[in-house]
Amino acid sequence: MSDLLVIGAGLSGLMAAYTAVKAGLSVNVVAKGLGSMHWSAATIDVLGYSPAQPETAVKRPLEQIPALIKANPQHPYALLTNEHIAQALAAFVALSKDVGVPYGGAANPGDNLLLPSPAGAARPAYLAPKGQLAGDLSRSEPMLIVGFEGLRDFFPELIAENLNKLGYSARAAFLPLKLATNRRDFTNVQLAQGMDSKEQRALLGPALKKLLRPGERIGLPAILGIKAHATVLAELERETGAPVFEIPTLPPSVPGVRLYTALRSYLQNLGVNLTAGMEVIHASAVAPNGTPGSIQWVESATSSRPLKLLADKFLLATGGILGGGFNSEMNGRVWETIFDLPLTVPQNRADWFQVRFISPEGHPVFSGGVTVNKAFQPTAGEQPIYGNLWAAGNLLGHCDTIQERSMEGIAIATGVAAAQALSS
Amino acid sequence: MFTESWHSVGPTLDECIKCNICTSYCPVSAVTDLFPGPKYVGPQAQRFRENGQPQSPDHSVDYCSGCRVCNEVCPTGVKIAEINARARAQIVAEEGIPLRNRLLGRNETLGKVGSVAPALANFSLHNSFSRVMAEKVMGIAREAPLPHWSTTGTFGDWFKKTQSVRLKSDKKVVYYHGCATMYYEPFVGKAAVAVFEHNGYEVLVPPQNCCGLPLLSNGEFGAAEGYHQNNINKLLVYAQAGLDIVGTSTSCTLTLKEEAPELLDMHSENVHAITMATWDIFEWLRERHGLGELKTDFSEMNMVLPYHAPCQYRAHRIGKPARDILVLIPGIDLRESQARCCGIAGTYGYKKEKYQIAMDVGAELFNFVADQGEAVEMTACDSETCRWQLEHGTDLPSRHPIEILAAAYGLYDLDKRDLVNR
Amino acid sequence: MHKLETEVLVIGGGATGTGVAWDASLRGFKVILVERRDLTHGTSGRYHGLLHSGGRYAVKDPHGAAECIAENQILRVTHAHCIEDTSGFFVVLPEDEGDYPDKFKAGCDAVGIPCTEISVAEALRREPLLNPRISRVFEVPDGSSDSFLAAHATAQAARNAGAQILTYHEVTNLIMTGGESDRRVAGAMIRNVVTGEEMEIHADITVNAAGAWTGKLAAMAGIQVTIMPSKGTMVAMNHRLVNTVVNRCKMPSDGDIIVPSHTVCVIGTTSVNVPEPEPLRIEPWEVNKMLEEGDKMVPGFAQARVLRAWAGVRPLFQDTYTSGKGRDVTRKLALLDHQEREGVGGFLTITGGKWTTFRLMAEATVDDVCRHLGTERPCTTATTPVPGAEQGNYWLGHRLHDIEEQHLQGQLVCECELVTRTMVENAARRNPLLTLDDLRRDVRLGKGPCQGGFCTYRGVGILHEMKKAGSWEVDMSDEAGSTAKWDVAYLQSPGHNLVSDADGHQSNQHPANTADSFNPNLLLRDFLQERWKGVTPILWGRQLKQERLDELIYMSVMNVDHLPDKELASPVTDFYRFDTRPTVEEVADV
Ligand SMILES: Cc1cc2nc3c(=O)[nH]c(=O)nc-3n(C[C@H](O)[C@H](O)[C@H](O)COP(=O)(O)OP(=O)(O)OC[C@H]3O[C@@H](n4cnc5c(N)ncnc54)[C@H](O)[C@@H]3O)c2cc1C
Ligand code: SF4
Ligand code: SF4
Repeated sequence: MSDLLVIGAGLSGLMAAYTAVKAGLSVNVVAKGLGSMHWSAATIDVLGYSPAQPETAVKRPLEQIPALIKANPQHPYALLTNEHIAQALAAFVALSKDVGVPYGGAANPGDNLLLPSPAGAARPAYLAPKGQLAGDLSRSEPMLIVGFEGLRDFFPELIAENLNKLGYSARAAFLPLKLATNRRDFTNVQLAQGMDSKEQRALLGPALKKLLRPGERIGLPAILGIKAHATVLAELERETGAPVFEIPTLPPSVPGVRLYTALRSYLQNLGVNLTAGMEVIHASAVAPNGTPGSIQWVESATSSRPLKLLADKFLLATGGILGGGFNSEMNGRVWETIFDLPLTVPQNRADWFQVRFISPEGHPVFSGGVTVNKAFQPTAGEQPIYGNLWAAGNLLGHCDTIQERSMEGIAIATGVAAAQALSS
Repeated sequence: MFTESWHSVGPTLDECIKCNICTSYCPVSAVTDLFPGPKYVGPQAQRFRENGQPQSPDHSVDYCSGCRVCNEVCPTGVKIAEINARARAQIVAEEGIPLRNRLLGRNETLGKVGSVAPALANFSLHNSFSRVMAEKVMGIAREAPLPHWSTTGTFGDWFKKTQSVRLKSDKKVVYYHGCATMYYEPFVGKAAVAVFEHNGYEVLVPPQNCCGLPLLSNGEFGAAEGYHQNNINKLLVYAQAGLDIVGTSTSCTLTLKEEAPELLDMHSENVHAITMATWDIFEWLRERHGLGELKTDFSEMNMVLPYHAPCQYRAHRIGKPARDILVLIPGIDLRESQARCCGIAGTYGYKKEKYQIAMDVGAELFNFVADQGEAVEMTACDSETCRWQLEHGTDLPSRHPIEILAAAYGLYDLDKRDLVNR
Repeated sequence: MHKLETEVLVIGGGATGTGVAWDASLRGFKVILVERRDLTHGTSGRYHGLLHSGGRYAVKDPHGAAECIAENQILRVTHAHCIEDTSGFFVVLPEDEGDYPDKFKAGCDAVGIPCTEISVAEALRREPLLNPRISRVFEVPDGSSDSFLAAHATAQAARNAGAQILTYHEVTNLIMTGGESDRRVAGAMIRNVVTGEEMEIHADITVNAAGAWTGKLAAMAGIQVTIMPSKGTMVAMNHRLVNTVVNRCKMPSDGDIIVPSHTVCVIGTTSVNVPEPEPLRIEPWEVNKMLEEGDKMVPGFAQARVLRAWAGVRPLFQDTYTSGKGRDVTRKLALLDHQEREGVGGFLTITGGKWTTFRLMAEATVDDVCRHLGTERPCTTATTPVPGAEQGNYWLGHRLHDIEEQHLQGQLVCECELVTRTMVENAARRNPLLTLDDLRRDVRLGKGPCQGGFCTYRGVGILHEMKKAGSWEVDMSDEAGSTAKWDVAYLQSPGHNLVSDADGHQSNQHPANTADSFNPNLLLRDFLQERWKGVTPILWGRQLKQERLDELIYMSVMNVDHLPDKELASPVTDFYRFDTRPTVEEVADV
């Protein structure tokens, strides 16, 4: 029994749990598994491209939001004022410092960063982990992009060539793989874990220094340590005398693992029990005539009888189709898996996609989701459906957070706001 | 063979979206190159295996310890550890079972044999000569924390002997003690009986046999099926009478509930009845507490207690019930470990080629315990093999939470590991 | 303009065309084969993958059945490594009972197809997921075949015998000589579709092996060959639900065969008349039908994850074509001697048939070539294994086994299909490659559950790195047919694209290498779109979730929608952009 049960351990769920526990609630978090932080670049994207101008990166996202809302009044950001959003982001920045994975923004406050992507494109992001900041393309130092021979998730020449085409100065270089690992088999996370060891990274700094030309900054794949990341970064900058930045690449996302594990243990210390591997499969609700219903408990699957999870309030943050909050089938039905909340997804498969995989309009199936009121309660018409149910994050409908590059911004802003609403 | 079983576990491989979250958290692939990780050996390799194949194409799956960290973190619900267990069973079916695994899989037989003359058995098992021989001949790591046979008689002996003083009540519960309590750690059973009785329950201990988990984890599915069927035969009447079957071994209860039916594809009504009647003891106590039935007349315990929830809870998917109860005890400063696994993973760490891996995996936990400072006198963990590994890795005694709880009720002496008032 | 001379010009790089090139070059003819895209771009790359035992035709077409079993036994030797010996079941479902099963057995016996009735229990032991309600099961020597590999290996055998294989070379017109009474096809006008260069190939005899496109080619000679294109849709499941080919024991119809093919199993097919051989739409009712039919044979089939759907087109030839349902029009091979038919010399058309009988079709064709060129040279293909065959049949676990033995996990580029970096590099060096799709055909890159989610980026990065390092040279070390470098586990061919001109000078026609067209960003976009095209018809449930992850990777992490070189397009870009989404009417139809 707790005051609040958060379902989902993604960024929105964790921000909500943090906000609620700070407001004095007792909070439990359950999740089927871990979420999208592990897949993304772990930057905080607030608004990278607005649907009205999909080709040009948004320069100042918060200033762009009013226009976005004007064009799309049901957009989740429309539930919030700009001040709310800014405050939530500030809360995240403060929290990131407290948990030991500090985030920062562009040199000119309010601007989007432009960070080199692993394909060499310039990706707009509002906040980024400290280790990515020196990659900001608005800085003028030429870049030395260094890869490791044979690494399958990082191609410095591709990055440099595309950056050059886009007008940024960059060149590529390689180091032997053994400077990064002596494992035969590895993923990015394992490489990063290896870098935690002093012996493993001992030769890296000197080798980088040899490659470096004066005035350059150094871009590396995001494998610079997990626990010792801050130390690794500082060491390399000291040894090379140059700014060093990471370029996160294919999942599993190393910066994502850092952020998740840090948030998780910080919350645990605040008394938030976070249990993954628990899939909520059923909700028990009462709905007296005419008034909003209420959730009595939810049940999760166990090795035997379902486990009742009791709480006063419930917050749903299970993500959308990718997060696992929605499922879909051949006949075009898309449904929310726990409460069967109404969704704005087109219920005909013919209306789900664009012809091109890369389409600035986005695929309609992915912008559908749950509709909530200003208090972040799922609604049918005006009324909240359940008096004690709130929802936040990427399951909210009316926008395609991947197309907009607003995934984390919406997760944080709505997660915080929903928790504030339910705590007040 | 177990061929039908691809039906229930196998299809979950279809859920995999290749994100490698599981690989990022697998404690074994983090410390060794020999294990390519959950996604690789699980949903990915499974597409390259077939029923009745001429040979198993891969063997590294044998390095999976079965800790189920992967299942817990997987966002899509792939039953990775189970897929691995089955692949291992297939290797065993093709290549036969090494003597060592045969032995480690037969916990109960070993227990019985040793209990005839426990002191001698302890000596012959634990002296350094025989450990070296055991390693050479059978590949049982010489340093690994093998248990000691109880020299004060088995749990069964004690329970029989004390029948006359046992509580009689309308409220009854069936106790499933498992092999470890029976032969190595009867005191855990005594603590459990004391806690049940303190809460007004009469304890029934019907005949029962090994749950078969060690066989399952060594890939001997055929033998395990026999074990599980026997248990069903013996326990079914109690389940049908509506009694709860409660166990102190998290692995035995898991096997009764889900592991055996799922891996062996035993899906009859009777099997299901046992699944639904079985409880982990703290799960059961937490349920009582939720209903306001648990006595909370605890005495103050004044201790810093590092607690490690065993991997099997991950498979139970019931959270951490022992933690939820222990925090009710005044004076306990419970330090919950976030370590993924102690390394031992049942019989995994006993094997010569895996001993060091197990210790490296366990380092996360051992370091956590060390970080809790000088005040720590003992650790707690629900699973017997994990406790042995914890003791081995930290040099501190380790207790089952039920011992702690019994002590908090004033019924049990944590140092002597015995009941206070017999 | 570039001019080449040859004795035999083969048009079409499918099973039939490569077979003809192989046969003719073994018989000592000078041969050039031209294919407008990559090898197996046509039906041969979009078929069901069954090495027929002949069982399917035992009742309806005994002659075809006899051809199948004979060729089945030959190909198991000549193309051993392209075949998995899965065996095949014909199962009798409750609704299939009647006299067909007995007729089937008798039919098999009559044409010599080894056919044994086995017990249902035995069948279920071997295929536990089969419908337990089946009443009878017959076992026949069906197999699973890899046509990509087979075409490459056949082409390589032809090269080793002196043939030239030109991919991405399209016939734009036929060169006609003579007057009213002695019209001849004297070769063809060819366009290199990558560079746009035109060339003339003069040939003594031209073989039209353009599959469903043969009608179009014949038209260039003013000849009418009526081909009725009949589309067949197939659906691949995420993993093998059966390891044996499973056929319904009844008159052939829609969705009655499940073929295990590498890591997937494929159910097919439908049969729908279409106006053009390309592009092909896959309609929801077809997917629905396949899943429903699959579920009858393997309960639960319809709930399993669908990986992808595609369609191929049967070049059904009927001389006196009126109308008819696709499956009833003859599927026999049709060898048209245009000298005899229309009085046009130097021109043969070979079409129809099955993949299983491609060698036989080639033999018949080249027999005719000999006749026309006035020589008598015996066919030797039936007893001459192609390069790689010495390695024996492939088995499902081969790659897993190999990678584990060599600890190559960290080198995996395509994790789903276990494609290593070395495999990609070798394939790129040896095969003409314009798109990643060509690599997919060579090494199975991107064919697994994530449908290119991870390997598209990696594949592009590796090719780009090779290009930059100048290490993308054609590797000729296999010239003498040595197979040292290609193990069956890699399922890739040792081919390369060398052309000798009139004075014997060899030049590399590797399109990506010769043209300056290599552009990593185009490669990336093309392949993402190619994969998308094949998944949109089946995108729901788990595959939809996967696609959203892929989108996250390519939009959010990579930002590929804002990479430079947007205006570039390759000769296949438009093909990949074909709209395969279900329409409202089609959805309503289901
Ligand atoms: C749905 C379906 C399923 C099938 N399943 C099986 C099966 O399981 N087993 C089996 O044995 N058979 C099967 N078949 C039959 C088999 O696939 C075909 O018979 C065989 O692939 C035909 O090969 P082909 O070389 O004649 O034609 P294709 O493979 O179509 O080759 C023709 C080639 O000509 C090229 N071309 C066209 N125009 C030009 C031009 N102007 N210049 C240069 N090149 C040109 C095309 O690009 C193409 O690559 C199936 C067929 C279909 C449609
Ligand atoms: S069960 Fe444990 S050891 Fe085995 S793959 Fe999963 S995480 Fe790794
Ligand atoms: S975490 Fe789950 S979905 Fe992701 S790779 Fe592992 S098994 Fe697949």
